Amino acid sequence: MFTPEYLAVLDPFAEEAKKIVETSPPVDAMPQEIIERATNRVKWSNKEMVVEPGPESIRAEVLSFYLMCQGIASASYPYSRETRLISDATRNTIRYRMYDLFKRGQEELCMKAVRRSIKLVELEGEDGTKLGEVEIPREDFYKLRDQELENDGIDIVDDRILPQYLPRYAVRWVDLAPLLRHRRVELTKLYLVKGWAVLTLRDLWDFYANFVSVRTEDYIQSVYERILESGAPSKVLAGVGGRISSLLPKEPEFRERFARVPSRRLRPEFFPPCINQALNGVGTGLRNYAMIMMLTPFLSYARIAPPPSATRMADFIKDISVVRDEIAPPIFEAAERCNPPLFKDQPQEKASIFYHMGFSMTTDPRLGDAGKSKWYRPPNCTKIQMSAPPLCNPDEFCRNIKNPLTYYFRKMSEHARGGKGE
Amino acid sequence: MNRMEMHEATPEERKLFYKEEWNKREIPDFILHTLSLREFGFDLDGTGPKHRYNQFITVGQLEDFMRSRAPYSAFASVALYERPSAREGWLKSELTLDIDAKDLPLKTCGCPPGIVCERCIDEARRVAMEFAETLAGDLDLRNIYFVYSGRGFHIRVTDEAIMRLEQNERGQIVEYITGGLIPTDITMALGYSKIFRERVARTFSALDEEKLLTARGMRKSLARRLMMEKERALEAIRKGRLDELSSFEGMGAKTFGQLLEFLTRTNLGFTDGKVTIDTKRILRLPSSLHSGVSMKCILVRDIERFRLEDAIPKFVREGERR
Repeated sequence: MFTPEYLAVLDPFAEEAKKIVETSPPVDAMPQEIIERATNRVKWSNKEMVVEPGPESIRAEVLSFYLMCQGIASASYPYSRETRLISDATRNTIRYRMYDLFKRGQEELCMKAVRRSIKLVELEGEDGTKLGEVEIPREDFYKLRDQELENDGIDIVDDRILPQYLPRYAVRWVDLAPLLRHRRVELTKLYLVKGWAVLTLRDLWDFYANFVSVRTEDYIQSVYERILESGAPSKVLAGVGGRISSLLPKEPEFRERFARVPSRRLRPEFFPPCINQALNGVGTGLRNYAMIMMLTPFLSYARIAPPPSATRMADFIKDISVVRDEIAPPIFEAAERCNPPLFKDQPQEKASIFYHMGFSMTTDPRLGDAGKSKWYRPPNCTKIQMSAPPLCNPDEFCRNIKNPLTYYFRKMSEHARGGKGE
Repeated sequence: MNRMEMHEATPEERKLFYKEEWNKREIPDFILHTLSLREFGFDLDGTGPKHRYNQFITVGQLEDFMRSRAPYSAFASVALYERPSAREGWLKSELTLDIDAKDLPLKTCGCPPGIVCERCIDEARRVAMEFAETLAGDLDLRNIYFVYSGRGFHIRVTDEAIMRLEQNERGQIVEYITGGLIPTDITMALGYSKIFRERVARTFSALDEEKLLTARGMRKSLARRLMMEKERALEAIRKGRLDELSSFEGMGAKTFGQLLEFLTRTNLGFTDGKVTIDTKRILRLPSSLHSGVSMKCILVRDIERFRLEDAIPKFVREGERR
């Protein structure tokens, strides 16, 4: 018997799921089976994706989802390949559940979940080909069906699945903007009639699952930013994240499969406005904050992309030239552009730059010295606004960002997904 | 067709224009009603729009500025900001398409790139109309305005539904409107498939043999054949029976694919996609003078009946009479 609480299984961000999270035990006291479930989610087979009705199964499902996300936010960074892995796994899971529930006669439940995220109208008319005043040509109607069948590689059609492949609904294309933004949907692949995109149920499951997947990425970003601000994540979370990371294929193989892996080289074209301004040099009063507290952590974290639990740079790089030749030079050049140049009256700040990267007060950093001082994290936007207001000139991309680093990772990821620049 | 006599306005002509002819009432309502939220940029001396980050709280302030400075060019942002003078607090942006007559990828008049004649302008106008039709039809957008920019047309859309879209979505709109991607199914009666066929047909019909030969893998004999039987080819494209093009001798699968890619890429060139995705762009202010060509940038209320004469400033007309 599927109760309304089951909606939490189809939408981990639904109110039903939030209620479960509110009564969750602390992370350190999380039952082992939840931890195992969180870790294993990314390698589930179709059968394992299915959650049977019942409060305990639903609870385990929701808690393990959040544990997985928080684990990745602790062991990785937004828009990393780990994030993509669980975002894709979540999409596949939700999509399969919808598909499976429909086959089991639970269309109403599926539609209830979908209607919460997507505003729909149903096609009308005797044969369901009418959209408002427009009659969709019958030939197009069946071509759309056949396209979907071909996409799913289905040659033999049975009566249980066929209804999912017939166009039945329509959604305003502008409501799909979050999916267009993330290139989960392409405008030229939609069948648009007077502002409406005509959809089959199969499309609906797909779009809905992608909405959940995009929200999952946003959620990981928000947890990551919270961790950057509040300190080291719990060992349990870092452990779960580490185990999920270890499931990833080796990088070269992964790069072939996904276009979103951020380049390890610094890409200034994706820096946020505050960092660009700091790189251009700043005036007295802002120099130390901009160079030491902002640029140094930002460039080191952006270049190395460690998890927020990282403490020692040497755990992530094998060659100090990364620091000497790639991270330090733009900071030194920016310091020179300051008015007056920072090192002219404060030469000791050269050593301070390496100190803030964890190498203690030195102008000659060595890998062996990593961890002798704290490796500072980039401050969150709110801190920058308070400490250096003139540097905070947000652009529209900053709207959903709470840390300059997530701006960088996100912009780079969107660029890779879009396959083109500005 | 006559090349347009486009001389650069002298400082005296600019002063005369802003003193006697410029009228704040020619600023469209969609700008007037959001005037204080827009960033204004000016090119004061013909060296580029370097005078940025200007905000005018009232149209009177803008009027004072225009009359006293007689700018070489005046621009307003497509974006609305909380603090336009700092370009901070982005609120939303119009969707814009820039169809520049001098940069059209195909010109039937034979004008070289960078030069325009009345026919180029008319071709740009037709392209603008096609784009707007798709914006209003398939995308169901409202509040679509045309602006003659001095050497082409701007389409400016202020429909609330799209004003918060970001770069990726806007980029996809360009692909859709221009027919810039090959669709999965080319034969559908409606949707993108139809738009694609129309755009490809338009591009193909404007091609000549010389231009067609710039397509990768295109042989001279095939190009000649396609041009000789253009109508047959066009009919096949319009009906979505692209396989019929394969019946032209010399058109193998590979050449066909390359031809389609060439047409698609050309389609994309009818508008400058960089303008559309840039949510902080400044565009020429309707009512102002395009001093580079001595033409007025004007709101076009009826694009079908657009007359170039309406954009010619008085000082040019009187100069001609003299």
